[in-house]
Amino acid sequence: METAQQNLEPATDIPHDNRYYLNMGPQHPSTHGVLRVLLEMDGEYVIDPQPVLGYGHRMQEKMAEHKNWMAFMPNTGRMDYAAALPYNHGYVALFERICGIEVPARAEYIRVITSELNRIVSHHLWIGAMLLDMGAFTPILYTFDDREQVLDILEDVTGSRLTYCYFRVGGVCKDIDDNFVEKTRAFIKRQRERFDVYNKLVTGNIIFIKRTEGVGVISLDMARRYGVTGPVLRGSGIAYDVRKNEPYSVYPKFDFDIPTGQNGDSYDRYLVRLEEIEQSLRIIEQALDQLPDGPFLAKVPKKLKMPTGDSSFAVEAARGELTYYLVSGGGDIPYRLKIRVPSYSNLSVLPELCQGMLLSDLVAAMGSMDLVIPEIDR
Amino acid sequence: MGDQERGKLGVHSYAAELQERLKRGEPGNLVVRDPGPLFQNKIADEIFNLCRANSLWPMTFGLACCAIEMMSLGMARFDISRFGSEVFRPSPRQSDLMIVAGTVNKKMASAVMTLYDQMPSPKWVIAMGNCAISGGPFAVEENYNVIEGVDKLIPVDVYVPGCPPRPEGLLEGILKLQEKISGVRHPFPQRKMSDAPSY
Amino acid sequence: MHPATEKLVTALSEQSIVLNECDYAERGYHFEIDLDAGRLREFAQCMLEQEMYLVFVGGLHVDPAIEIIYQFASYDRLCRLVLRVVVDSNNAIPTISDIYQGANWHERETRDFYGVIFIDHPNLVPLILAEEDVDLKPLLKNSDNIKESAAVRWVTVEEQPETDEKADTD
Repeated sequence: METAQQNLEPATDIPHDNRYYLNMGPQHPSTHGVLRVLLEMDGEYVIDPQPVLGYGHRMQEKMAEHKNWMAFMPNTGRMDYAAALPYNHGYVALFERICGIEVPARAEYIRVITSELNRIVSHHLWIGAMLLDMGAFTPILYTFDDREQVLDILEDVTGSRLTYCYFRVGGVCKDIDDNFVEKTRAFIKRQRERFDVYNKLVTGNIIFIKRTEGVGVISLDMARRYGVTGPVLRGSGIAYDVRKNEPYSVYPKFDFDIPTGQNGDSYDRYLVRLEEIEQSLRIIEQALDQLPDGPFLAKVPKKLKMPTGDSSFAVEAARGELTYYLVSGGGDIPYRLKIRVPSYSNLSVLPELCQGMLLSDLVAAMGSMDLVIPEIDR
Repeated sequence: MGDQERGKLGVHSYAAELQERLKRGEPGNLVVRDPGPLFQNKIADEIFNLCRANSLWPMTFGLACCAIEMMSLGMARFDISRFGSEVFRPSPRQSDLMIVAGTVNKKMASAVMTLYDQMPSPKWVIAMGNCAISGGPFAVEENYNVIEGVDKLIPVDVYVPGCPPRPEGLLEGILKLQEKISGVRHPFPQRKMSDAPSY
Repeated sequence: MHPATEKLVTALSEQSIVLNECDYAERGYHFEIDLDAGRLREFAQCMLEQEMYLVFVGGLHVDPAIEIIYQFASYDRLCRLVLRVVVDSNNAIPTISDIYQGANWHERETRDFYGVIFIDHPNLVPLILAEEDVDLKPLLKNSDNIKESAAVRWVTVEEQPETDEKADTD
């Protein structure tokens, strides 16, 4: 196998009555939400991990066929609750694409600023949660503190802390004011000083390095066969980001890099996400400098009349490429909405990736993939 | 949706069982066959209830979005540990409070009931968020998978509405539970939250 | 057009597969292909060789038969493809999960929601629905809200007069 050196072969010269099934159940401190993984084990080594999904299935695609866009907006915030604004963005931009609605420039800038703030929030949550899975309790306190600063800023303008429903077809529902701009700039300054804390506490920590270096290496061939996207893919050295590859909204106007890793192991995925926080701060700074005046919501008819046909829109969510695919038969209610979530494809590499690993390495590898289970189950 | 339509979802309905028992003439509050403590002494019970109210240890049972707000409550800004919940126990055998945070669906229903049965008495349940109270935004006409309210499966003590409720909202729910257990709102002389009216 | 995309187009036309170029600003993808089920596996093999990745596999319930929709995209260049295949009379279609392993879960989910059987799939058990809901097939439309296959496609300018009536009866 081309996976890392730590995937040792289980011993073959002792009688094999060491095999048993271990259930990493739907309620477990190390699974991010309700994921069940059936592990066929040989002593301490995992032979065949099989994820069992469906414990968080909430019928989002069925509900989309019975609701118009305004009624379905809250659902988009609840699929991936840790970074809900890119989900909002993909959904409204899909309707704007299929109906040909033009969005004012100020609204696009506000969308980008709030989406990037949400990405920062999501990565902070991930760092804390992954380290909590591996047993470290201190970093999560620091990351949640940073999170609270951003959640206060976003709550002033959107009204929610977590499951946002802020975007509308044609713009956003409330304008930002000088208070928002000032607080965001203060946050950017503060966050840049906090990177020092994370580097001292986590990045250089020998226990963290030993637990994640070489664990869960994903090659380009494996990534292509499974459709892996997002920081998981970028950790393996492939610079694929929908914001640069297939630009949408006003991303072409900003100057930012796509961080990539070299080895494709869990440590590289951590470094990629840490670097992405810095790149998001750069985007927000440039957007605040270039923020134009103008309306924040275009005039859109109450009942949208969609043409018949199908349309697709891809955005870069915090976990990878999110694609909405809409089939409409006219009217204002979609005929079929297919939501392709990034964590679904990322989790599907688990059976191939984690064969022969130690159980604690499986926890580290699964944590580095940044899964949110209600997003997978929709 | 009426009860006969809810039966389509195919889970044991606690509400229906309660109705049946009331029809048969059994008292309605004895659905959970908890015989109570072995030795009953009024003063000892009051002291124990005071202790239990001040040291509720929740079980980590975050299912969906409300779980993140529950985690925020455990972190430094809102800090549930000053109210007694020093640790969140992943094992049901070592916890006495189950905060059902998130949507319960058909596949998860049996896990919820198993975990509740595994908790030792005395135990309490807080239904956090609209999904755990009544199905929330998913209680629609074409619902085929979401249990509309966790109180169809297990008895609930406190309901905390919100989607998701703010961490302070969940904290108020825990304080209400403390009041339910010990009879007094702030069982120990804690510093009152400023601007909150004194009860 | 990017040179790798031209290579893709030539490789497909060598196998006499027709690609319809689409307006990206309106649809979000570049090529649309209608294929029959027998040629699906060689198409998937060709996609893997042309270095495309599988975005999703989804179902669509329209009037004569269910259509399965595949979307492919590329890591290096901007090129998105949508492929539609109609299921055969037994509601079955060949699987591509030995070529693209990611399709394994997508196909299980499509079977859950639509009841489509994927021939030679290694493990076609419910993925997202509960075990007892194996026959529920929740996303199938019923007779009063199902539409014809042509009624959910883009109309081209020549066909405008006839399909106007169809749009009016919605």
